[in-house]
Parts: sequence; structure tokens; C-alpha cells
Amino acid sequence: MSHRFLTSTSGLAVVIAAALLAPLPVAGQSQSPAAKTTVPRMADGHPDLQGVWDYRTITPMERPVALGTKEFFTDEEAAIWEREENRRQDRDKIDPEVGGLMYPPGGVVPYNEFWYDRGNKVVGTKRTSLIVDPPNGRLPAMTPEGKKRADLRAAEQRETQLGRPHADSWEDRPLQERCIVGLNAGPPMHPGAYNNDFQLFQTPGYVVILNEMVHDARIVPLDGRPHLNVRQWKGDSRGHWEGDTLVVDTTNFRRETSLPNSGASTHLVERFTRTDDNTLLYQFMVDDPTMWTRPWTAIVPMVRSDEPIYEYACHEGNYAMASILAGARAADKAAEEAAKKGSK
Amino acid sequence: MRNRLTGARFAGVAAALIAALLLGVMPTARGAEAYNAPRAADGKPDLNGIWQVLNTANWDLQEHAARPGQVVALGAAGAVPAGLGVVEGGEIPYLPAAAAKKKENFENRLTADPEIKCYMPGVPRATYMPYPFQIVQTPKYILMAYEYAGAARTVYMDKAPANPVDSWMGHSVGHWEGDTLVVNVTGLNEQTWFDRAGNFHSDALHVVERYTPLSPDALTYEATIEDPKVFSRPWKISMPLYRRLEKNAQLLEFKCVEFAEELMYGHLRKQSSK
Repeated sequence: MSHRFLTSTSGLAVVIAAALLAPLPVAGQSQSPAAKTTVPRMADGHPDLQGVWDYRTITPMERPVALGTKEFFTDEEAAIWEREENRRQDRDKIDPEVGGLMYPPGGVVPYNEFWYDRGNKVVGTKRTSLIVDPPNGRLPAMTPEGKKRADLRAAEQRETQLGRPHADSWEDRPLQERCIVGLNAGPPMHPGAYNNDFQLFQTPGYVVILNEMVHDARIVPLDGRPHLNVRQWKGDSRGHWEGDTLVVDTTNFRRETSLPNSGASTHLVERFTRTDDNTLLYQFMVDDPTMWTRPWTAIVPMVRSDEPIYEYACHEGNYAMASILAGARAADKAAEEAAKKGSK
Repeated sequence: MRNRLTGARFAGVAAALIAALLLGVMPTARGAEAYNAPRAADGKPDLNGIWQVLNTANWDLQEHAARPGQVVALGAAGAVPAGLGVVEGGEIPYLPAAAAKKKENFENRLTADPEIKCYMPGVPRATYMPYPFQIVQTPKYILMAYEYAGAARTVYMDKAPANPVDSWMGHSVGHWEGDTLVVNVTGLNEQTWFDRAGNFHSDALHVVERYTPLSPDALTYEATIEDPKVFSRPWKISMPLYRRLEKNAQLLEFKCVEFAEELMYGHLRKQSSK
């Protein structure tokens, strides 16, 4: 999702920045994760992080450039952002001929608003981006190899948006479309189009992260065992406690992760801190030296939910894959016939 | 039988039994229930762990001799291992039309078994597939996480939400009966099978599972299967589940979608130009 914001939020940000002429002081708005509040505890004394957690938000991964050093919105600014962003994101208001959001003119707007469940609020901290480091709230500079990877991905996305998906085989399609990893399920979890929720379970020796997106249970041992040698789509996670914070270290990703552009060499460190009954601060640090010139960190404050996790049978209901491939073959055939006619 | 246990002979047997009981060497008639399982923090039996069957129920729930596989190239590696069966009484009580359907499924098993497409296996099949699964037990929720296809289901022990719609892994609500975890599973769709032999069910399937500690490293698993559209009466399977004792045991990924894609979509792959 972050790349949508890379290319498409700057216009809006200028409007908002202009509307908020006087830069507002940020002092006192910073909410420290270390704030001491009473949180429920397990028999072993560690905080009880269990429950269903909701990470829907329209706070962008990256801070729009025009917001400069503005780290937090005031309440009024947040209200303006929400109003504008909710309008801008509304798929039902996008005319495919005109384009909008990340959709180019004459392209395809594949889902209407009915399918989205991205939330309609900024995060509770009112930060202007989920990224907190680098301090400008933006992804660090890419390596030359990373730039190539990002350009290729952007070009392929553009072709898909124009209704010309690269689909010689299913292997040309992203892992999310193949139902191998969830769009936003991670690791690391990051807000996306829908199914922005997970349930956390704690037993002696384990923490389990059950994402609704593609029904993945990530079982994290806490006994200090070493990482695996095999590579997996969701990597290999190991956890430990640092004070009241659960730290989960993940390596051994097999190829790309569900996070746009991060790859097999990613080292991920997630930190879960329950700051009160209803809030789980989820911080993640991504270090992929093949992609970015330095590590970066984001914080997603999650909200406790009373909703259950439902079964998301992605692959079992994946009619789209056969349709995408069949569509591509029909397009091949049409192109072949057009070429024959042309050569006559 | 009655006639044998008469007179002096009966007295002798009875005396021996009493002596054995007094000496404490006689196993009780219901040994399984005599086992005192370790407890979780809430006092319930602790079922946490990585478990797996050691049987061939996934090939065929019923007693069967070894038989050839259906993929010639796999030879002995693709053959079906023999099994004593896990169905109580041996027979699955199909209604006549359903029996014919089972036979047809068996004949078409190479293409029709949903396991081949990496579809979630449903209940009870998830339990006895040849992959481990992990029980993650908390007082209010018990998560069953299966290695096969990354399938998972939550057993609600406290307040269960309403089941919105049928699903692959169903809707599980549990309670404790003594040391036995009893799980009532409803809301299962009609798209899963019980095994590779074509044993099947409809969307009227109702499964009651029982997990009972048997020893530190084994559970007894029982499932009563009821489906009035397919079976003339409820029937039952049972088998031990064994703990995976490797010190480093963990579920690994078996995200099998990528193993089924060629089979499912291969005909839609772009052919290299002639």
C-alpha cells in the first residue's frame, strides 16, 4: 500500500498543508510507548496481549512530502485529513475514464467501495505517517538494485491497472493474488484494503499471531531456540520479552515478503507493547540492505476488537486467477489474429 | 460365556481379581480415565503441544490392504499403505444413493479429492492428515493450527460468536467433560472429503470431537459423525494422537497452493510460440 502514497498523496498534502498555514507545535503530543498504565497480566507476570486487534487506518505509511517535518496532526488537522482522504479513497467516486488515486486514466478500477474495509480514521496518536524512522516519516533511499526492483514492480502494477496484466503464467502474478501470503498479513502486518485484523494467543512458551488474511497462524516460540535453516514465505519467527514488550525477530524469508519491495534478505524485528486495555502498539523495523540504504521503522497502534476472526478461504475461492490467465490468453489470441490480418 | 463362570472356577477367578486389585497391579478397566494429565494454569488438562497421527486414515478410514497408487511414475512411492481402519465397527453406514456416490468418488479420486488442490481439509480430516498440528490452549480459546495448507480454526470455549456462513474448517464450540475436551463442530461446507478413498459428507455434517489425555505424550481422539443426508445413523472414528517429541519440533510451512497451481491452471499457461 505504501507505494500508492508515494505517487498519489502529494497533491492532497499540498492542499492540506496550505490550509493549515501556521505550523503547529508538536510538543506534548508525542505519545511514548513507555507510558506506564495498568495492563492485564498473565500468570507468569508478562503482559496479557491476547485478543483480536484491529489495524485499520487511513494514516499513510509515508508522510506526504508537503507536510515536511510535521510529525503529528492536531485534532482539527486530523479531521480535515480524514474528510479529504475518505473522499479521495472512495472507489465509487472514481471515473475509470478520468482515473484517480493510483488508477491511470482509461484504466481499471477493479473493486468498488463495497469490498473495502480500510477504516476511515487516522491512527490514535495522530501521527502523519506510520513510518517514524527515518524522522522525515519516509522510506529511506533505495539501493541501485532496490530502485530496479521498485521500478519493475511499479511498471507491472501500471500494466495491471491499465487492464494488461503480465500473466504468461500464475508465477507472473503477485503472491497475494495466488493466496500464498496475505496482502497485509505480513510479517510485518501493515494496513491494507481489508481483513486488517488478527488474534493473538499466549501460552507458556509460545505466542501465536493468527491473521484473518489468508488464515495464517504464525507460531512464535519464546524458548530461545535458533532460527531455522530453511526459508519460508512468512520467514521464521523467534520471540522474547524485553520488559513488558514482546519482541519477535524474523529472518529466512523465502523471496519477496508481503511488504512492497522487501525481499528474501529482510531482517524484521516486531515489538508488541500493550499500552492500555484497548491499545496494542505494534512497531516494526525492516532491514533489507538489498532494497534500502538503511533500516526503517513504523508504528501501527492497534485497537482491541470484539469481532471474531473469520475464515478467509482465499485459494479455495480464487476464481480470479483462472480468469486473469484466461483473459491474458484471449488477449494473446486477439493480438495474434490482428497481426495476421495486418500482414495480409 | 455364562456357563464357564460357575462354581469353584468362578470363585477362583474372583479371588484372583480381588487379590490383584489389593496388590495394585491390576490395570483398571478404564485405564485412560485413570491417567492424571498435567494441568494448565486454569486447572484444565494441558493439551498444548504438537500432535500427529501414526496411521493411514487419510488414505482410507476403513480397513484396507496396501494397494497401488494411481500415478504410474511414482511406483512404490505412490502406493497406498495398508491400514486397520479407524471406524468403530468397520462399516460406514451410507444411505444407498450415497454409497453409489462414494464408489464414484473412489473411482475419480485422482482428480476429485480436494486435498489435491490444496483446499482446506475440513474436520475431522485435518486431524489425521500425515502432517503435524499444534494445539494452542488458552482458557477462552483453543487454536488448532494445522501444518497442511496452513489451515486453522479457533475453538470457542467461552462466548461463541454466531456462525455467519458455512466454511471449510467449520464453526467449533468446545467445553470440558472431566478431562475430555469436547468440540461441537457445525457450519462445515460440503466440499471436503474424509479421506483419499472418496468418503464424503454433505453440508448437513455435524461432528462432535473428543480429545482425552491418554499418557504424557498421547491423546485419544474420537469423532462422532452425523449427516442425515448421507448416513443412516451417526458413526464414530477413534485413534491416538502422538506428541512430536523432537526438542526443536515446530510446524513448518506447507503452503501447498504453489504445488497445485500447475494442476489447476496449467492449461491456461502461455504456450511458447510454435
